[in-house]
Formats: sequence, C-alpha cells, structure tokens
Amino acid sequence: MNTRKLANNGARARALLGTCVVLALLIKPVQDRVEARLGQQSIVADQLYFGSPAAVKKMSLGYECLLADVYWMRTIQYYGRRGEAAKRPVRYKNLGTLLDITTTLDPDLLDAYRAGSSFLAEADPIGAGQPREAIKLLDKGISRHPLQWRLWFDKGFIYFWFLKDFKSAGEAWLAASRLSTAPPWMEGLAAMGLSRSGAVETAKTLWQHQYQESNRADVMENARNHLLSIQVAEDLWTLEFFLNKYRERTGSFPQRLDDLVRAGFLRYIPRDPLGTPYRYDPKIGKIRLDPQTKVRRLDVPEAYREAYLGRIARLYQ
Amino acid sequence: MTILTIARNTFRENIRDKILYNLILFALIMILSSVALGQLTLGHEEKVIVDIGLSAISIFGTLIAIFIGISLVYKELEKRTVYALLAKPVHRHEFILGKYLGLLCTLLVNVVIMAIGLILTLMYHGGVGFPGYLRLIPAVYLSFLSLALTTALALVFSTFSTPALSALFTFFLWVIGHFNGDLLEFGRLMKSVPLQWLFRVLYYVLPNLSNFTTIDSRNVIESAAYRQPIDPIAVLWVTVYGLLYCGILLVLSIAVFSRRDFK
Amino acid sequence: MAVIEIENLTKDFWVGFWKKRPIRALDSLSLRVQGGEIFGFLGPNGAGKTTTLKILMNLLRPSSGDARILGEPAQSVAMRKRIGYLPENPYFYDYLTAEELLTYAGSLFGIKRSDLDKKVSTLLERVGLSDSRKLQLRKFSKGMVQRIGVAQAIINDPEVVFLDEPMSGLDPLGRREVRQVIASLKSRGVTVFFSSHILPDVEALCDRVAIMNKGKLQEEGALEEILKVKIEGHEVILARVGAQDAAALKDLCDEVTPIGDRIHLRAGTSRQVEAVLSYSISRGAELISVNPIRPSLEEYFFKEVTEGSKRSDSAPIEFNTRS
Repeated sequence: MNTRKLANNGARARALLGTCVVLALLIKPVQDRVEARLGQQSIVADQLYFGSPAAVKKMSLGYECLLADVYWMRTIQYYGRRGEAAKRPVRYKNLGTLLDITTTLDPDLLDAYRAGSSFLAEADPIGAGQPREAIKLLDKGISRHPLQWRLWFDKGFIYFWFLKDFKSAGEAWLAASRLSTAPPWMEGLAAMGLSRSGAVETAKTLWQHQYQESNRADVMENARNHLLSIQVAEDLWTLEFFLNKYRERTGSFPQRLDDLVRAGFLRYIPRDPLGTPYRYDPKIGKIRLDPQTKVRRLDVPEAYREAYLGRIARLYQ
Repeated sequence: MTILTIARNTFRENIRDKILYNLILFALIMILSSVALGQLTLGHEEKVIVDIGLSAISIFGTLIAIFIGISLVYKELEKRTVYALLAKPVHRHEFILGKYLGLLCTLLVNVVIMAIGLILTLMYHGGVGFPGYLRLIPAVYLSFLSLALTTALALVFSTFSTPALSALFTFFLWVIGHFNGDLLEFGRLMKSVPLQWLFRVLYYVLPNLSNFTTIDSRNVIESAAYRQPIDPIAVLWVTVYGLLYCGILLVLSIAVFSRRDFK
Repeated sequence: MAVIEIENLTKDFWVGFWKKRPIRALDSLSLRVQGGEIFGFLGPNGAGKTTTLKILMNLLRPSSGDARILGEPAQSVAMRKRIGYLPENPYFYDYLTAEELLTYAGSLFGIKRSDLDKKVSTLLERVGLSDSRKLQLRKFSKGMVQRIGVAQAIINDPEVVFLDEPMSGLDPLGRREVRQVIASLKSRGVTVFFSSHILPDVEALCDRVAIMNKGKLQEEGALEEILKVKIEGHEVILARVGAQDAAALKDLCDEVTPIGDRIHLRAGTSRQVEAVLSYSISRGAELISVNPIRPSLEEYFFKEVTEGSKRSDSAPIEFNTRS
C-alpha cells in the first residue's frame, strides 16, 4: 500500500515536471508574437516618458555614467541595424534623440559627437539625413570641449559637404586652425574652403583627412566611398565635356572613347578607381559607371560640377 | 571599550548573514560581465568597466546599507536580545554607536572587496597604468561616505519603525537626496515667499547626496573613468558635510533610543 | 543595608490610539531585599513582576517612585557591573555559539580576555553545556537556552542576581540543576531575586517572598510566616482495615476517607494519631504512611489571591500551579 503511494507520488512529480517543460517551450513562440507587435516602441517611449535628455540625467540618481554607456550601446545597436535598412526605409529618425541623451549623460564621450554627427548628417540610406541636427550636436560638443580641434573640423565638414555653406565651413576651419592643438594643414583647408573655386579640391582633401584621422572602420569606409565617388564624378564630367567638344568639332559623337585620344583631346581614357572601364553609348553620347563595378557610388553635389567644368574649360582654352 | 565590543559583535553578525554574500556575488558578477559589455561600445571598454564597477559598488553598497541598517536596532528590539544587553553596564549611546560602527566596518570590507574585483577586472582588460588605478580611489571614497550617511538614515528609522516602513522612508530620502538642487530651483520659481523659504529649508535639511556624486559639476564616476583628477579641497568639504550630517543622525538615534521604554 | 530597595514604585502604561488611557501596571510597590537572601517574587500573570524587574534593569522608567540596587539608583550604568540578569523567555543572538555568547557578555562587563577563556569554560561546565560549547545558539533547545541564560547572568560574579522565570521551559532535571545553581549562589553570599509562578520551586528555595497581584503588593515576609505554618495534624494511611474497624476509627479521629482499598485518616492532634495507630496496629491493619498536613503554597495562593481579587472587585485570574 505504501509503495503504491510512493509510486503515485513519483508519477505525479513527473507529470508536473512534464507540464512545466511543455509550458516552457511555449514561451518562445508567444514572446516572438509579442515582440513582433511591439516593434521599435522602446526608444520613442523613452523620449515621451522622460521628456528631455536633461530629465533622463536627473533620473539617473548619480549613475549617469552607467546610463550613458547603456545609451551609447543602444545607439550603436540602433545604427547597426543597417541590415534592416536594406529591406525597408529606416531613416534613423531616433538617432538624434539617442545621441542627445548619450551626450547629456556623458558630455565627454567624444566619439558620440564625432561619429554621431557624421551619421546624422549622411543622407539616407547611410544615415539620418539631418545635417542641421548634426551641427547642433557638434555645437553641444564644442561648448563643452572648445579646444578640441576635431569637433571644429567635423563641423566645417558638414557645412561644406552636406549644407553647401562654404562660408560657415571656412569659418569653422579657421577657428580650428587657431587652436594650438590643430594640425598644420588646417589653415590651408580653411583657405580653400573660403574660396569657392576650390570646392572640389577642398572636398577631396576633406574626405582624405577624415579617412586618415578616424580610427573607426565604418567612418573610414564611408570616407573612402566618398573619395572614389568624387573621382568617378570627375572622370565622368571630363569625358562628357570632351565628348561634347568632339561633337562640336566633327558634328557627331565618336564611335569609341579611344577616338577622343586620337583626336587629341585626352592623353588616355580613364577607368573607374577600381579598374573597370566606363560604359559608353555612342548613339546618345552618354557615359556612365559600369553597373558591375564594385565602386559604391555616392552623390556628388551638382555645384561641384559647375566649378569643375569651369576649371576644365579654362585649362582647355 | 564597550562601543568597540558591540561593533565587533555587530560585524560578526553581519558577516554571518547570508544576504550579504548574495549581494556581493551579484556585484562581482556585474563587474565581471562589464568586460563582455564593454565590447559593445566599440573601443570604450575601459570606460565601461570603470562605470559599471564604481556604480556597482555604490548600488550594492546602498542596498546593503539599507537592508542591514533598517534592522540594526529593530531586530534587537523584536528578538528582545536588547534586554540582556542593556541590563549590563552598557549605556544606550554605546549601543547605538557600536551597532553603527559595526555595520560601517562591514560596508568597508564589502567596498574593499568590490574595489579589488574592479581592479582585477581592469588588470585583466589591460592597458591601465598606475595613475588610472589611483583615480579610482576618490570615487570609491566618496561612495563610501554616501554609504555612511545612508546607513545613519536607516539607523534612525530602525530605532522606532518596522523594517518595511524604514526601508521605504530610507529609500525615499535617498532618492530625494539627489534632487536637492532641483528643489531649490523649484523653490525660486515660486511666487509666494513662505513657499520659497520652505524649499530653501528643505534644501538644507534633506540629506544632500548629490554632494557625493558630483564635484565641480562633474560626476565623480565620470572623472574616474576619464582619469581626471578630483579637487581634494572639495572632497574635504564634502567629508565635513558627511561627518556633520551623520553626527546629527546619530545623536537623533541616541535621543530616540534613550527615551524608549522596552515593554 | 538593603541590597534592593523599592519605594512607592508606580508605573502607568498609556494605551489607545487617539484617546490614551493609563493602565496601572504597578501601584506604589515598596520592598526591601537584604543581602545574601533568596527572595521570591510571586504572582499570577499580569501581576507586575516583569514590569518591576524591567524597571530595576533600567529598561523601563517608572512613572513615580524610587528603585535602588546596592545603594545606587536603577538608572546607574556603573552599578550594572555588579549585577546579573536573566530575562523572561530569553533570546540571545542565535548566530553566536555558546562560547561566543559568554565571551561577548564577559567582555561587556569589562572582564579581561586573558581571564575570560577560563571563566567561560568553568561556567559552561557549571550549567552543563560543555558539550555544546561550539554549537550555535539557534540549534539550542529551550532548556539549553535557559541554561546559557543563567550562565551569562553570573559570568561577572555578581553580588545580586535577578532571574525572571528561570525555570520556564526546563524539564525536571533541568529545574533541579538550576535550583542547585541558585542554592550554590546563596552559599557564596550572592543575593538572588527571582520571580516565578512555579510555586514548589519557590517553596524549596526562598527565604522570603513577596506576592503581587494586579500591580499591588499583597504580602511580603518570611515564607513560614506567610504560610502561617502550623501543622494542622497528620494524615494516616492504612490498609487491610475491616469495616467495623473503620467505623471505630471514625471516633478516634477527625475524618476518615476510604480510597480504594485503603483508608485515609485525618488526625488533628498528636493524641489522636497515637490512638489511631495503636488501635489499627492492634487490629492487624497495615500502616502505609503518616504525613504531616500543612497548607501548601498553592492552596495559600488560591485562597489569598482569589480573595484578594474579590476584594478588588474583579474577575478571578488564571494561574499556573503545575510543577
């Protein structure tokens, strides 16, 4: 009789354990369902709940450094969802808020100002496409660290490249060049920026410097892509210019690009920076980048085109 | 001295309390995991380790201070061990001071253990010179001062209130203590003069814990993480404030306790 | 000189949340205890015994009146070096071992570390806890806790010892041990003040007693006087007594009660005892026992205390007379 009771107890324990396991297995699918519905609410919730980064800092009860790290990690993860960006437009609309909170909690996190402003300013799909926000972020950093030449450099950069405000760019670089810690080329850059005709040269110098100065892989790659894109743009503008000159002289577009060399306009036909030849369509006289090439082409402002063509025209004269 | 005897016994009691070990364990786990978390910040590992480490010391220290502090006197009253104790040649103030000192020593040991854990984690991570380690000391010291004040708060409530209420009040005051500056600012916005005065009074009366976390408008943990020096004169004044405020709380505890009838 | 002097000691407790009304736990108690005697402090639950002890131990402040120990006021801390105290239902730090507790107690008295170890060992042996030296108090039985309590009360070789219900929770063996300790204390000239409601123990040990009821002192004095002991005769128990003999015996004594196969006789005077004995023996009865009859403390209590309660117009109180 007793052994039967014991056996029953054993069986009951096993049944209970089994039920536990089954219920536990249900957790994952249910949680996934829950999460699918919630989506990206949490960051927006932060903003609404706390009202402002200053409020977040108040709430941290003396642990703002820890929170700053948490927010920085979240910012990085948020930005790192670029995989998803390929699937649907993301526009990183919360990037600015996250960076604002992070830098309020920890005003000394230079990386947040620099890399943060960089990706705030970059156009969709690389960044948030908010250059004004980027400037505000950099100003915040500058007010805290006025002697950090790099922040001034970044500020000028964004004015120059994204906002086309050459004057402000030049002024920012001038301020940077006055700092004792600034590198020697800063003055030259300021001078170039302030003279409009040097636009493209300035741009190239900018991207080159950013590529060399940064130690972050994502920033370096971005700079490299910009440099290559400028190269491609210059090549294409040059070829376009001389194709038109050829037509003016002979009345029609050349059959092949090599004809431009034979006609004496160019000494050689350039290929794209990674070695792939450009595609030429003789019927309409248009030249473009080979779609198979590995160059990631980014926009180059139209304003540079005018300046560049102007320069070529003078040289050709 | 009687105070030291009671302190030693309180220390022994705390050491044998299991909750202490759980909290220390969690703190150490937190500090160790900072190494993994640091990877997520892409190049800021050292800062993250220091941030988490110093925050853990502060948070867990506060938890210990509150959880053990609120029952310092209450437990003796409830279990009636205080009867046999006070029937001996022990003054009431010696009892209070002894209990306080005992818990303070316990906290000191805890803080040191956790600080060592932090230093070991930094050493494992590598790349931190001796000055980097030195910078941790002021932050840890200020944290400890804050703990001493929190303990004194818990002690006061422990002399007349149940653990549940004591925990609530102590925690409430600890939170409010970080907003003293805001109270003052808020008061300045007030139209009525009596209200302004009320907030001014609150600013001085409530324990100003932000004194221990922010020096020269800079968070102390941040200063330690960025290896910035902290003004020693400021630290001195904060110490004076801490000692003064703790002293007031201890005198208050002794006063309440001395008047008690033990039914 | 009186070792303990209590004069018109009164204590009111205030109860109630909004409207506080006083409850008088002690009403003008006056007592004197002389050096070297064992003084019993008796009374039912709620009589004010523990309140008195707490005032003496400076755990409570009296509402009015005076209490002195060894000539010093009860509030004096220095005086406490010379006394010992065992509280009612004691509880000591359960995370300490027996040894650690006694060492702690001793160091609070200012006994030097070098002397303490030896003292602790001797004490533990004296209360029969040598085997449990390194055992944590949380593993102690109630009896063991009581015994360690006695030990911590005498570790400083006090001149006066205050014990509140020292026998509670002890089995007969334990009680006897504590009684022996108390007796040995007296032999060393220590004054013992102990409160109890286990009357046989009090009867066995005390020189003088005070009886409390509802906060008031009812009686105080030497035990014999209080019980007004006079032998009220003897009880004779006989067996193998025939029916006629039983009838005859009725005339020789005050009362005859058959119980089972024996008869109990109450003989008021010694002459009656002689008569009863010679008659029954000559008739071949078997003598079982002859015992003096005197009122026990229990009976006295029932009488005095319930009457005292009637006098003060209140419901009868409950009372533990179990040995």
